[in-house]
Amino acid sequence: MSVAPPQPLLEARGIEKSFSGVRALHGVHLQVRQGEIHAVLGENGAGKSTLMHILAGIFPPDEGEIHLQGQPARFSNPLEAQRAGISMVFQERSLAGPLSVAENIFFGRQPTRKCGVIDREAMHRSSQEILQELGMEMRVDALVENLSPAEQQMVEIAKALSLNARLLVLDEPTAALNKSETVALFKVMKRLASRGVAIIYISHLLPEIYEICDRVTVLRDGGYQGSFELKDISEDALINRMVGRPLAELARRPNAGLAKSAPALEVRGLNDRLLLRDISFTAHAGQVTAIAGLAGSGRTELALCIFGARRITSGQVLVNGRPLSIRSPKDAIDAGIGYLTEDRKEMGVFLQMDAVENAAAAALDQFGSWWMDDRKLEQETLGIARRLRFNGRSTQAVEQLSGGNQQKVMLARWLLRRPSILVVDEPTRGIDIGAKREVYELLSGLAAEGTCIVLISSELPEILTLADRILVLRGGRIAGEVTRSEATQENILRMAALGVESRQATTEKLRGAQCRM
Amino acid sequence: MPDVSDKVINPVSRQPGNPSVPGSSLSFRHSSFPLTRETILLALTVLAAATASFAFPRSFPTWPNLTALLRNMALDGVMACGMMVLMVGGLFDLSIGSMFSMAGVLTAWMLGVLPGGVAVAAGLGIAALGGALNGWIVAKVKVNALIATLGTMQIFRGVAVLVGGPGISSLSAGFGRIGQTEWLGLQSPIWLLVGVSIAGQFLLAKTRFFRRYYYIGANPKAALLSGIRVEQMQVFAFVLMGLLAGLAGIVFAARVGTATSTAGDGAELRIITAVILGGASLSGGRGTIWGALAGVLFIALINNIMIFARLSPEWQSIVIGCVLVLAVGLDRLWAPKR
Repeated sequence: MSVAPPQPLLEARGIEKSFSGVRALHGVHLQVRQGEIHAVLGENGAGKSTLMHILAGIFPPDEGEIHLQGQPARFSNPLEAQRAGISMVFQERSLAGPLSVAENIFFGRQPTRKCGVIDREAMHRSSQEILQELGMEMRVDALVENLSPAEQQMVEIAKALSLNARLLVLDEPTAALNKSETVALFKVMKRLASRGVAIIYISHLLPEIYEICDRVTVLRDGGYQGSFELKDISEDALINRMVGRPLAELARRPNAGLAKSAPALEVRGLNDRLLLRDISFTAHAGQVTAIAGLAGSGRTELALCIFGARRITSGQVLVNGRPLSIRSPKDAIDAGIGYLTEDRKEMGVFLQMDAVENAAAAALDQFGSWWMDDRKLEQETLGIARRLRFNGRSTQAVEQLSGGNQQKVMLARWLLRRPSILVVDEPTRGIDIGAKREVYELLSGLAAEGTCIVLISSELPEILTLADRILVLRGGRIAGEVTRSEATQENILRMAALGVESRQATTEKLRGAQCRM
Repeated sequence: MPDVSDKVINPVSRQPGNPSVPGSSLSFRHSSFPLTRETILLALTVLAAATASFAFPRSFPTWPNLTALLRNMALDGVMACGMMVLMVGGLFDLSIGSMFSMAGVLTAWMLGVLPGGVAVAAGLGIAALGGALNGWIVAKVKVNALIATLGTMQIFRGVAVLVGGPGISSLSAGFGRIGQTEWLGLQSPIWLLVGVSIAGQFLLAKTRFFRRYYYIGANPKAALLSGIRVEQMQVFAFVLMGLLAGLAGIVFAARVGTATSTAGDGAELRIITAVILGGASLSGGRGTIWGALAGVLFIALINNIMIFARLSPEWQSIVIGCVLVLAVGLDRLWAPKR
């Protein structure tokens, strides 16, 4: 005897979304049942966030339908989605730090007495009830800014529940939590599910997904890769679905061969205050050394430490065998290190300045000893721009350039400087395929000319295309090294997410590694 | 040591950057002249001067009036040069009016015990130290420039009153020469302005060192990652500001023969107004010394015309307030929409 499947709480069909011509979602389906914990799995850039933003009403889909309990739903803003019972808990928390827990839960909807005076007692009472329902011990008059990240997340969930959420979206909720906090969160999630609340859970930590979720929907490059009962699909099959795209558009660059020379860059026993533990590695001239790892594994932090932009507590950085004391990015640049930031908009470009001015930022002292030689600067920069096939206007504010051209400007900044070691952090983030290929060619060319390239990337195909050696970071430590010949997306991801041991042991370790404090 | 990594781990408030400005890029490389604040200001200045020449043909467009106008704006102009450097770097200093007075009073007080040259040098030294204090609080302790200089503004004023009481008068004739000497019919403060502004314009527009301020103002984090020593540069800008405000205060005391502890009251807001009229932005990254001078000239001109028109000083505030809001507002309205 078979039971008819219950009507899904939420059903999204054929969702399409493009941003200025770049397709972010293509034919995506998602079906979430009442009381289910449903994982959405995919690599960075697979379209998970875009899909969630559409569900939460932050922007509409270009095409496709969303049904909520069988009724067509179209939200033009987050408030409408909230009213319909869909609440999101984002990675970036949206709480007001200087206000109390209760005030945050009832933010903007505080119960009032006559004349609009806030009824604090009623507010505290209701907050207490919600928190109790979640099984949480917390003072409702505590200030949110004094709470731990885990507690803040609970407040967010409580806030969503006070809005009578029927569908809760949790975007990488365990990223900032330690083991016991994660366990507590899972308990709350299970309790909510048993009460009939559906939860969409976004994560790329497979052990967690297997532990807590019922079903999973896999996205890859904005496309739908299927939905599965987790008890019916193996971890390997899931990883395969997630990364199994045909290998990069570009042929692997020719192998640089084994390094014969002394390392250009050597890091010995590097620790920082919070995350990085005992990092040691070498990188050689003429090679591309890749650093892989999941979000939060410490890739960017490591780069910032080497570049003098983040404090290290112990350890040494050697350039061409000479130990250096690098205290600022200026020291690093003087020692011949360049760093292409992953956060182009915040920490890379000068938005109002033009391309030439932007490119000149790190090389001002190369153009004239006292007076700026603007003509020479312009000539050299435009020469580099041609080499990079920069196709924007060089006198336009970079703000108005495409992502690809902005990235070329950033690369030009380092080409002007000619560092012997170039650390590139997500060099192709947010740029189109054509520009991506050009960046690959440029990096290969620089390596061939003898630059030591350190490539940080969350895109495994990119790493496989470019790298001679691959170091894998996990939880702030080096989890291992994979050579070019043995590297596959699967074994890198396995090492980054699981380690090489059995799944059980790794789950424990992973939790431990996440406890950063 | 600088630490920008917190921002990396926790990119909480991703703002779409500063609202962009018309003319798109900075003014130091391109002299294209679209409708910017500088153009509005220039047009208004010409308009005001033309109107005044028409309305008061016998008193306004005369040599004595012109020199009086220049003399009145000279010391503001000197300070505006320093303020422009700070504002290009995304900072500002509210303590300059107090510094103006404190430097004058302390120098006058030291004249009683020290040889003239030494007293003036010591006065300038104290001004530079005061600027360094501002710079240290802002760049190293990371206190917001508004709060830091609001604090030192009151400290400096307090010191001036404490040392000088209401003021120190009957200063020596030798000291007075610093502010009263005339050459080619123009008094020394005007020559000081000519020197400081020409030097300032070339330094800010042409030198490697000062160009870094445009980068710092446009995006301090990117500047740091480009190898610019942001903190040291910020401290230096405050030292320069303190030095120029102190110099202006000492010259003023010499010109009027008295160092009063109320001198320079309100100068900070007047000069910030002038510098913004002249093209600076509170968010940094834009402006030139010529712009700062144009702003100071405009305010002095309005002031001058008001006197001929026999309007009360309140009208001056109203006019300048309107122009400030209008100029910056139009600037925003005309900015490219996104």
